[in-house]
Amino acid sequence: MTTCDRIPPRRGSRARRATWIALGLVAGAAAGAGGFRIAVPDYAWSFPRDHWAHEGYRTEWWYFTGHLDSKEPGARSLGFQFTIFRIGILPARPPFRSEWATSGVAMGHAAVSDLDRGEHRFSETVRREVPLLASFGLHPDPEIARVQGPAGTDGAWTLRWNGDGFDLEARDDAERFRMSLSTRAERPVVLQGPNGLSRKGDAPGAASQYYSVTRLATRGTVVLDGREIPVAGESWMDREFGSSELSEEQVGWDWFALRLDDGRDLMLYALRDRGGEAGVRNGSLVRPGGEVRLLEASDWSVRPLSTWTSGVTGATYPAKWRIEIPSEGLALVVVPDFSEQENVARTPRAPFYWEGSVSVLDGAGGRAGRGYVELTGYGERNRPPV
Amino acid sequence: MIRVFLRGLAAHFRAGRTLLILSVLGVALGVASVLSVQILNGSALGAFEGGLRAVSGEADLTILGKVPTVPDAWVREAMSERGVAAAWPVVRTPVKLEGPGGVFLDLAGVDVLAPVWFPWDVPPGEVAAALGAPGWAAVSEKLARERGWAVGDVFDVSSGSRRVRLRVGLLVDFRKVSPLAGDRLVVLDIAQAQDALGLEGAVHQVDVKLSPGASRAEVGERLARRLGPAAQVLTPEQRRSQAAGLLSAFRLNLTALSLISLLVGAFLVHTTTQAALVRRRAELGLLRSLGTTRRQVLAILVAEVALLGVLGTLLGIPIGYWAAAANVEAVSATLSNLYLLEGIGSLGLEPWVLALAVAVGLGGAVAGALLPALELSRRDTRALLAPFSLHERVGKAAPRLAVAGCAILAGTGVWYAGLGRGWRPAGFVVALSLLIALPAMTPWLLRTLCGRLRARGFGLAYGVKALGVKLGTTSFAVAALGIAVAMLVGITVMVGSFRRTLEVWIDATIRADVYVTTESWRRARETAVLDPAVVSALLRLPGVRSADRLRRTRAFSGERRIALVGRDVGMPGGEGRFVLIEGDRADAIRRVAAGEAAMIGEPLARKAGLGVGDRLPLTAPGGNFEIPIAGVYLDYAEEHGSAVLDLSALESRFGLAGLTNVDLYLEPGASPERIMDSIRGRFPDAPLELLSNRRLREEILEIFDQTFAVTRLLQGMALLIAVAGITLTLLVLARERVSELALYRALGASRRRILRVFLGEGVGMAGLGILLGVPGGVALAMILIRLVNRAYFGWTIVPSWPVAALARQAAVLLAAAAAASLYPAIRASRTPATELRRDDL
Amino acid sequence: MDPVLEFRSVSKRYEQEGGEDLVALREVSFSVPEGRAIAITGRSGSGKSTLLHLAAGIDVPTAGKVAILGRDLSRLDEGERTRVRRDSVGLVFQFFHLLSHLSVLDNVMLPAWIAGERDRDAEPRARELLARVGLGSRASSPVPKLSGGEMQRVAICRALLRKPRLLLADEPTGNLDDENGRRVMDILLRLGGEEGSALVYVTHSPDLASLADETWRLGSGVLDRP
Repeated sequence: MTTCDRIPPRRGSRARRATWIALGLVAGAAAGAGGFRIAVPDYAWSFPRDHWAHEGYRTEWWYFTGHLDSKEPGARSLGFQFTIFRIGILPARPPFRSEWATSGVAMGHAAVSDLDRGEHRFSETVRREVPLLASFGLHPDPEIARVQGPAGTDGAWTLRWNGDGFDLEARDDAERFRMSLSTRAERPVVLQGPNGLSRKGDAPGAASQYYSVTRLATRGTVVLDGREIPVAGESWMDREFGSSELSEEQVGWDWFALRLDDGRDLMLYALRDRGGEAGVRNGSLVRPGGEVRLLEASDWSVRPLSTWTSGVTGATYPAKWRIEIPSEGLALVVVPDFSEQENVARTPRAPFYWEGSVSVLDGAGGRAGRGYVELTGYGERNRPPV
Repeated sequence: MIRVFLRGLAAHFRAGRTLLILSVLGVALGVASVLSVQILNGSALGAFEGGLRAVSGEADLTILGKVPTVPDAWVREAMSERGVAAAWPVVRTPVKLEGPGGVFLDLAGVDVLAPVWFPWDVPPGEVAAALGAPGWAAVSEKLARERGWAVGDVFDVSSGSRRVRLRVGLLVDFRKVSPLAGDRLVVLDIAQAQDALGLEGAVHQVDVKLSPGASRAEVGERLARRLGPAAQVLTPEQRRSQAAGLLSAFRLNLTALSLISLLVGAFLVHTTTQAALVRRRAELGLLRSLGTTRRQVLAILVAEVALLGVLGTLLGIPIGYWAAAANVEAVSATLSNLYLLEGIGSLGLEPWVLALAVAVGLGGAVAGALLPALELSRRDTRALLAPFSLHERVGKAAPRLAVAGCAILAGTGVWYAGLGRGWRPAGFVVALSLLIALPAMTPWLLRTLCGRLRARGFGLAYGVKALGVKLGTTSFAVAALGIAVAMLVGITVMVGSFRRTLEVWIDATIRADVYVTTESWRRARETAVLDPAVVSALLRLPGVRSADRLRRTRAFSGERRIALVGRDVGMPGGEGRFVLIEGDRADAIRRVAAGEAAMIGEPLARKAGLGVGDRLPLTAPGGNFEIPIAGVYLDYAEEHGSAVLDLSALESRFGLAGLTNVDLYLEPGASPERIMDSIRGRFPDAPLELLSNRRLREEILEIFDQTFAVTRLLQGMALLIAVAGITLTLLVLARERVSELALYRALGASRRRILRVFLGEGVGMAGLGILLGVPGGVALAMILIRLVNRAYFGWTIVPSWPVAALARQAAVLLAAAAAASLYPAIRASRTPATELRRDDL
Repeated sequence: MDPVLEFRSVSKRYEQEGGEDLVALREVSFSVPEGRAIAITGRSGSGKSTLLHLAAGIDVPTAGKVAILGRDLSRLDEGERTRVRRDSVGLVFQFFHLLSHLSVLDNVMLPAWIAGERDRDAEPRARELLARVGLGSRASSPVPKLSGGEMQRVAICRALLRKPRLLLADEPTGNLDDENGRRVMDILLRLGGEEGSALVYVTHSPDLASLADETWRLGSGVLDRP
């Protein structure tokens, strides 16, 4: 092999076309435009049917985050994320006689954080939604989603319904990790917002249908660097589907999903505008019995206590928070288990975000729970394409 | 020294204006020959490469199939391979633009969502339209301008029997990416392209981008193993050299021709330099006697010649470019008709070609001048002031040179008969040795023939005889003429023989009355499929006695790409379609029709070394297989090899449904024109192309003639150079023989008589050149027909001798020689008797 | 009867760049009757060659008149002068000026060819002339094989082939040794005299000059006739 045979690393090559940029601008068009369905207040929910994909929306995702502990000697503590996105460019598949006719793109994000060693691995796969590469099943077909893995890796990432919960499979040979997990819902579905309508702004379509399953018992195997690690733990699933949710002024959001040791589940999110102010703020608190209290903006406050700057992207994220919900008697400090949990895709100029395992501490500094925090839109020109 | 040089320069240029002009022209023509051919050769693949880059952009590897289409599952396979960063499918085929003008477009379907950078950007707002708006196509700005299209306009194209309506969705300047990219590129999203072309489930290629640090060779190998024997994994360089391989024979022949022209030009330069230098013997002798060293004299001479070379090169470059431009049409036509490549869009002048031209001009000038310059600078002072004895030396060396020439020729012949035969370019080596032997024999020939001539009287014959005297001067001109004539004769005979052979073959095999195909077939070939409804209607037309149904495709036999045809081999009355040179025809037809065997074309038989009884390897979608060969047929249509199977065998083995051509044989008395009209009447909208027997024959011969158009240009140039050599040589002779001419004048010769003598010398040179060149040309023709053709193309060409055409060319040459002699003859006749000097005559 | 050659006040000047004209001949007048042999002596540069050129019609005078057999050459155009020279003048040169690629016989035949005569007519006379000068057996020899004296004898045959009325010789013995020189002069005088040709020869040897009927001196362009 001669030296000229090897491909030189590309630095600063031309911006990637299509997917992200396309989505960004396409999605940034007026909400509800182009024939897509929009989120409505009177959506008729039906489970488990609504766990499957919904035709006609611009964006849809299945978002799993959780904590896994291994049972082997030298126990490991892992955090994980598994997400499948469906991004529509056209409201419906065009009627061409071709297996490549498509309405959009499917995407998968997976991450494993080794909490003991402070190592974070992230993988992304983006595939044109064609039967060959990515497909979304119809109820009651157990396969909800399948997306061909990232380049260089055999096989597809899958999301299946196993009757009680979801089975997840993701793999990236280049990042050298695999996850194969089976989950069982322990709590019922929580509709986030009135009838599951999550308002993001004033425009008619600036909302999503949003629900969560806050606790899922999780069991399975994680393979890191070739070593199989049997794991067990707990995860949280978020589901959203809608069209054109963010407005011009909104640049990103901060999202918290916390499982408190006292049995309560807390979900909070704040959409930030260009000035850094949180405009739309919503949340929910689930009590151990299952009762759901929807939190208004005035019910809670979040204050960042420190920051962290990424050496990879240069973005500065808030890195420690104080959350207060007086009416529930909650004064919590949320601390990232380690800083470097930023999800940066291999393709240059793809949007990046911070999604990491956090520990919840009470006012005295004692452990109060675990959770995941997602921070999007930080850094230069990093607006999420929703 | 510089001052001497510069002053001398001005004086010489003033005094010898004509000589200077002629010399510069000589260099210019040599440079122009080489340059024009190299430009054409270099540009030939420009559009192909440009098209590759415009569509495949960042691809490090391309996966093609040894079968026409590859399963789109290969995309997933490819992207799963370690080291691959991205893989995306491409569909590509030529289509015919509806409407007059015979315009073909290059339609490409790509995955607009692939995470790679294409050399053109689909603006984000357009992605949805590219995916969903029916007929959305990205079109080159130039094409849109030509056709008067704006974004939103629709246009129709046809592929086979399919008609597709496209809409201009985006204007792209492909040339920004790839300067030689053709403007015929039309890009669609792959879903739309598959839908339009009816290619569901299949793509033509999969492009692959590798991760940083991955090795092309290694990943390529793994991909090939993963995908199986039907896959070819190629780098962009390999793709280019595949296409270059298609053209290699064509380009090599062009280059060889240009080199012959160059050779002739070099001779001219030599004569030129002699012309310039011979005048200055006295001056140089004076310089030497004043103490100028040999090296300094040589330096002056070489500097002058270099200056000449520069002027000639500067003139030759635009002439060469113009000559290339004048032939672009013809070459493009050959590229598209024969090689199915896109024609030359624009002529590229790469720096290296320019550098080559300069090297040729300067180098040729200096090399040609070296001998006389060395001669003059080497001579001792006294001898310089005394007579020029180069002629004596050439005269003395003549027999040895002739023997050497014969020896080289004979030696090369022996080498070829033994070892050389296996080496492809061996034929060119033999031709080269011939072209060396010819000039080597010239001095001896001149001396002998002219010496034997009995010249009584002071006229034309006297002039011819005088050619044998100043051998140092006349040999070169006659040699150059000999080579030019040899080239002319050789190529005329070869082309004539080829054409005649082709005519005979056409007569035997082109027997159907009406040939039906689709409009896009000319360029698309295997993807241009006829609508089955049309086919069945054709077969049932009243007046049609029988029909030969054909499906043409490309296949791989081992590593060799060949044309594969499935047809109704057993069609009754159709034996004439095959002229076999090996195998029993009736038996072969029976076996092939039964699906048990295949027939192969002569070029394939020769190149692959296969014959009746051997097995032909083929790669089908299901894998590799072998089929026995029952016959070898003459085939002038496919340079790279062809094979014939029965139509049903082709369909079952290769899974190809549909026909590309239907040849109709009519009842006696039925009129082809009437049938064609009725077909058009029944299918007014179908993009069909109908040819009568007569028209097809004409077309084949037209394409043939067009292919050889360039050779005519080169022949013309060579002759021009050679004839200019006559003028120059006579001028030199006039100068060298000043005393002799003065003597004639002193003895009372009238100007007219001297004019006649010089005319005789000029025509004599042409005549001797013909005498030398005709046998040389005959030999060259046989070398081209038997050796070169066999090695590169594998065709049987029956030599035929177009005596009338050759006689005409000889007459033209003699007339041109007479015209070329006129000016020098007039100059010579003006020599006053007072020029009688002390020199020996 | 017209003299064979007549000069009347002939002058010849050559223009030179940036300087005075060179005067080669100054008011030269003479006439040479039939059969007469004239020797012209003088130093180099005295105009001897010029005089011969004018006499042969190769060049024309700047002033004055040159007549051959009564024909005024200055009235004739270049072609006619050439014809006169061809038919009436024979030339012998100091350096022989034979063509080495032709045989001895062919060299002698050259003037006949130039005049368009048929071989049949001219060849016997050529052979006869060669025999007369003792080179009959060398007719087919190539020229380079001959000695200087032999070459000049061949040249004389050439000059005499067409029986010219006027013989002009420019230093005919200049390149020969004494013995050959004498022999050549002898042949010139004898053969020329037999035909009745007038002979004008230029020489720098007083001995050779004395063989003529008259000796004239040419000095600085001026002819001095006793």
